[in-house]
Amino acid sequence: MEPLIGMGVLALMGAAATIAGASEDLESDVGSQSNPNSQVQLAPQMMYPHRIYNKAISGEPPSNALMCAIGGTTASVLMTAYSMSPLFAIAMGALFAAIVHGSYSISAFLGRPASQKRFKQPVYLDILRSHTPVIMGYSYITTFCILVVSYLMVAVLGHPFPLPLLAFIWGITVGAIGSSTGDVHYGAEREFQNVEFGAGLNAANSGNIVRRAESGLRNGIDNSWFCAKFGGPVTGIAFGMTVFLSGWVTTVFNPAISPIMGWLSVVAGVILVLIMIIWNRKIEVAARAAFGPYKEDEVAA
Amino acid sequence: MIDVVAILMANYLYVLAITLGGMLISLSVHFVPVGGAPAAMAQATGIGTGTVQLAAGAGLTGLVTAGAVMAVSDSLPLILAAGAVGAMIMMSVTMLVGAWVYTYGVGVPPASAKVKYDPITKDRQDLYVSQGTEGHGLPTVSFVSGVIGGLLGGIGGSLVYYSLMMNTTTSLTTSNLVGLASIFAVGIFFVNAVIPSYNIGGTIEGFHDPKFKKWPKAVFSSFIATFLSALIGVLAIGGL
Repeated sequence: MEPLIGMGVLALMGAAATIAGASEDLESDVGSQSNPNSQVQLAPQMMYPHRIYNKAISGEPPSNALMCAIGGTTASVLMTAYSMSPLFAIAMGALFAAIVHGSYSISAFLGRPASQKRFKQPVYLDILRSHTPVIMGYSYITTFCILVVSYLMVAVLGHPFPLPLLAFIWGITVGAIGSSTGDVHYGAEREFQNVEFGAGLNAANSGNIVRRAESGLRNGIDNSWFCAKFGGPVTGIAFGMTVFLSGWVTTVFNPAISPIMGWLSVVAGVILVLIMIIWNRKIEVAARAAFGPYKEDEVAA
Repeated sequence: MIDVVAILMANYLYVLAITLGGMLISLSVHFVPVGGAPAAMAQATGIGTGTVQLAAGAGLTGLVTAGAVMAVSDSLPLILAAGAVGAMIMMSVTMLVGAWVYTYGVGVPPASAKVKYDPITKDRQDLYVSQGTEGHGLPTVSFVSGVIGGLLGGIGGSLVYYSLMMNTTTSLTTSNLVGLASIFAVGIFFVNAVIPSYNIGGTIEGFHDPKFKKWPKAVFSSFIATFLSALIGVLAIGGL
C-alpha cells in the first residue's frame, strides 16, 4: 500500500477514535458508571438522596467491550452472510449494541436506587425516561466509531485479527482509558464542587456529592454538560493518540519492507514514550511550583 | 480422537513459552500504578481505574500491534518488541492524559503517600498530599513504573500469541488460526491480570510500593494457572 494512503487511513482512524473516546466518557458521566459511581451509590446511605442516574452495569472496559463485540459481530455477519455495504452493516451493528446497552442501563437503574429504599432514595421515572435515550445515543456513537476504526484496520491496513475481536479489544481499551482519564474530572471535581478547589476528596466528605445544579436539582445530563468541557475531550485525545500512535510507528516504518524498518518502528515508539515521561515530569514540576505544598515542613518551621 | 501425547510432544516448547508469557503478564500488573475507585476522586495515588482493566487495556493494545507485525514478519524479537511498544504507548498516553486531568481539571499536584521522597527525582512527597487522602496523581516514579508494566505486559501477551500461532500440529487455515489464537491469548491475558489483583487489593503505586514485594506469590500462582491454560490452548488448537 502507498504510505500516503496508509497515513490518510490512520488519520481517519485517529479522528474516529477521538470521537469514540469523548462519547465513551460522556456516556459514563450521564449514566454515572465506573469508579465515581461509588459516591453516587454511597450518597443516599449518608442521608443525601439525589436525582442522579445510577447505573454501574460493570466496569467500563467490560461494558464497552460487550457493546463493541455485539456491534462487531452484527456488522461482520451482515457483511459476510448478507453482502451488505460496510457502512450500513456498521450502522446496524451500532444500533443493536445501543439497544442492548440501553436495556442493561434500565435494569441497572431500576435495581440500584430500588435497593436503597430504606435510605429514602426515590426511583425517579422521569430521570429514566430522559437519560436512557441519551445514554443509548452516546453508546451508539462510541460503537459506531470503534467499528469504523476496526473495519479500517481489517479492510484497508490488512490486520489479521477478525473484526469482532478487534472491536472487542478496542472496546476494552476505550473503557480503560475513559475510566482512567475523563472519569477523574467527574469524580474528583464535578461531584465535589461544594468543597474548595485544588485538593483530593477528603475521606470525611465521602458521599456528600453536590445535589443542586446551576438551575434546579442536578441530574446526569448536567454532569455531562460540565464534563463535556474538559473530561470528555481529553479522553477523546487519549484514545485517539493511542490508536494513532500505535499504528503510526508501523505505518511510517513498515516492518513488511525489512526487519530493519521494523526495529526502527520500535525505536520510534520508545522515543515517543520517553517524550511522554519527560512531559509528565514537566507537568509535575510546574504543578508543584504553581500550587505549592499543603503543609509546612515541620523541620523548617 | 486426538493424539494428546503426540500434540504435546510436538509443541512442548510452546507450552513452556506460553507459561513464561503468563508469568510475565502477572509480574507486569504489579508495576502498573492503579488507585482504583479512590484515585478517581483524587484520594489515592495512581490511575483511577481497576488493576485488571488497565493492564488488559494496555496488554491488548500491544497484542493488536504484535498481531499486525506477525502478519508480515516471523522474527520473534521483533514481534515481542512491537507488542511491548504498543502496550507502552497506551500506558504512557493514559497516564499523561490522567496527569492533565489531575493537574488542570482537579488542581492537585502529583504526590505519593507511600514514600517520603520520590526514588527517581528525589522530590519531597508528603508535603504535597492533600488532607484526608492517600496521595494523588502520578509522580515520576509511578509513571516510569507504569511504562515498565506496559513493557512486560506487552512482551508477555505477544509471547503467548506467538506461541499459540506457531503450533506445529494444527491443520487450521490461517484466518481461523489467527481468530482462535488471539481469543486464547486474550483469555490467558485476563487470567493473569486477575491473579495479581489479590496481591494488590485495589491500589498500588508502582515498584516503590511495599505491596510490590508480594509479586513472587502471584507469579507462582500464574505459573500454575497459565500452565493449565497453555495445555488446553495447545491441545485445542493442535488437535483441530
